[in-house]
Amino acid sequence: MMTRALLARATPVLACLGLLAVWQAASLVLNNDSFPTAIEAIRAIPSILGDKEALINILASLRRMAIGFGVAVAMSIPLGLMMGRSRTVASFFNPLLMVIYPVPKAALMPIIMLWLGVGDIAKMLVIFLGVSLPVIYHSFAGAKAVEEKMLWSGAAMGLSSAQRMTRIVLPAALPEILTGCRTGLVLALITMITSEMIARQSGAGNILFNALDMGQYDTVFAMIIIVGAMGIGLDALFERMRARLVKWSEPQFDIPVSFS
Amino acid sequence: MKARALTTDAIFGVVPIALVVAIWQALVSFGYAPVTLLPPPGLVFARLAQQLVTGTFQQEIAATLFRLFAGFAIAVVLGVTIGLAAAASPAVNAVVRPLVRVLAPLPKVALYPALLLLLGFGHESKITLVAADALFPILLSTYYGASMVEQKLIWSAMAAGTPRREILFKVVLPAAMPSILTGCRIGLVISCIVVFLAEMITSTDGLGHLLVTAARTFQAVDMFVPLITISLLGLMLNGALEALRAFLLRGFPEV
Repeated sequence: MMTRALLARATPVLACLGLLAVWQAASLVLNNDSFPTAIEAIRAIPSILGDKEALINILASLRRMAIGFGVAVAMSIPLGLMMGRSRTVASFFNPLLMVIYPVPKAALMPIIMLWLGVGDIAKMLVIFLGVSLPVIYHSFAGAKAVEEKMLWSGAAMGLSSAQRMTRIVLPAALPEILTGCRTGLVLALITMITSEMIARQSGAGNILFNALDMGQYDTVFAMIIIVGAMGIGLDALFERMRARLVKWSEPQFDIPVSFS
Repeated sequence: MKARALTTDAIFGVVPIALVVAIWQALVSFGYAPVTLLPPPGLVFARLAQQLVTGTFQQEIAATLFRLFAGFAIAVVLGVTIGLAAAASPAVNAVVRPLVRVLAPLPKVALYPALLLLLGFGHESKITLVAADALFPILLSTYYGASMVEQKLIWSAMAAGTPRREILFKVVLPAAMPSILTGCRIGLVISCIVVFLAEMITSTDGLGHLLVTAARTFQAVDMFVPLITISLLGLMLNGALEALRAFLLRGFPEV
């Protein structure tokens, strides 16, 4: 049993190593100047993280991401829960959200930049927009699936409607909400990279695409590893927190459905 | 009764959209936003209507749609195949699971520079990016749907003498169809988003390229047009998928 649990924990690491090995083999076979080997790319990582400016840039990106994500989650969960519990609220917001859904949020960047400049606020706003939709949808779905009987019992025991929302609907919908947040987290990272790539002023996305323009291919691939590690790391961290918060619920998807 | 509730819903739902347009118009007409930064909605929609009939604009849409469909089709084929295989065979599952665990939370956009270097600046790199992004939701929901198929159904089919291979296509696939279609729907929206982003980053045609060109020349009106177009395309494709779903799932209990 112990070895099994250990094995289950080790498989993602093995998968990473396997992918790196495939990369190494592919680059050796292709022998292309613009496709460095995995080892060369990994060697370039310390020089990026050792560069103070680059490190500050990456940390600033993460800070923007955290703020955008935090504000989006704080606003989307109440909205989603209300949509789930009230038909009126749902039919009010649903079509609007449907129209916004297929618009790439990072594509709003050029327009928002016209209004707010290239500063932090524009980027945080874009991250906020990107994270909101999945969180709203999952909270909506979670709140909609709450059993009526529990609400009736709550009402019979004298809970006000606000209390019913926080004491019954919120906990019952929590697993679904957290699934939404997990998707939102990956999305926040994606939107962060794309927004910086479009604004080209600072941040991790800027380092990545500047290196591409200047033909520093090992930096490009090293940055890809760094960003990828951020995604996987944040996701694993969130999964731990989630597992603790909703111990009682069986995870439906144990892998997030991520998208930009 | 139900139909009437739906119409009220529809009327109700138009309100916020109308409200957004009204606020937009108000911002311009009361002079809070200069026309160069925020063109009035009438101007934008007029430009959209004018552009839609021109051949060049239609070509841009065609370029975007081609990449979108190619990427999405690859994602559907790969996602459904791998998802079914992982649900049917423990050996495949043992390989696919950890790989998906690592690759799904990876921001695929960050891979785009690598794809550019490997596949060049043409269609291939963009189609690959779209496929990579749309693949995981389809794969996961196929896997989920296929592994949730009621065991009794499979047993009955086996008892009736259905060969193993046919069980996969005649029992598991149809039973997993609702879940697969949900995955496809998410994948489709993702495809719309990603194709646009990829075209914004490097392209010589397509809707994303239109937006970037307009942004470089500060033509605010032309910046809104591709955005609205992709939103409309997304809605139309979603509607088409919804119709397909209704057709494929006819006779299913309500899902």
